[in-house]
Amino acid sequence: MANLYLIGSPAGRNGLELAKKDGEAAVLLIQDGVYLDASAIAETGKKVYALRKDAEKRGLTNRFSGSVELIDYGKLVDLIFAHKVINFA
Amino acid sequence: MAQKHVLFTFNNAPYGSIWYTEGLRAAVGATSGIDEHTVDLVYLGDGVYFTLKDVDRTDSARYLGTLTKGGYRLKAERESLEARGISAADLAEDVEVISRADVVELVKIADLTIDF
Repeated sequence: MANLYLIGSPAGRNGLELAKKDGEAAVLLIQDGVYLDASAIAETGKKVYALRKDAEKRGLTNRFSGSVELIDYGKLVDLIFAHKVINFA
Repeated sequence: MAQKHVLFTFNNAPYGSIWYTEGLRAAVGATSGIDEHTVDLVYLGDGVYFTLKDVDRTDSARYLGTLTKGGYRLKAERESLEARGISAADLAEDVEVISRADVVELVKIADLTIDF
């Protein structure tokens, strides 16, 4: 089961650094984690998601390029159940 | 319930928040109790500032004492130390320096990761 790095705060950038080194990592940015730039990870082919509602509230949706997928809560729950969650909330 | 292996990550510097000591208290909690879970204690990012040798550890001393008695060591991520210009000589002697790749391995073997 792949590791899902669930990142919900700027301090979670440490989790982003780990995800870069983890071959089977996926990343999910929520809450203030959407301020972090995870495009570098997305470009290496790993899946990077951000919660649409959290990005919209912070006026950041245009910042999310094609490589980072904006998702809704339903998909967030599916992802959490499909992975081992590594918590950097 | 079965015994689990829990990775505690410490991501915040002392003393602006309580995370640096609350995490240690939670780790002691994990190791005691019926299941006596095993733990790893890893300092990342600004969290590594707690591993400097001259940090005042008074309010965490009891937790650290219990964890040390349990054979647990504090681990600090080398890349985070280097990014902050912290050398091995600056560290407390009970701190073990490990690489980011080692941390990812700890993440993989842990049943659960809790961040503080």
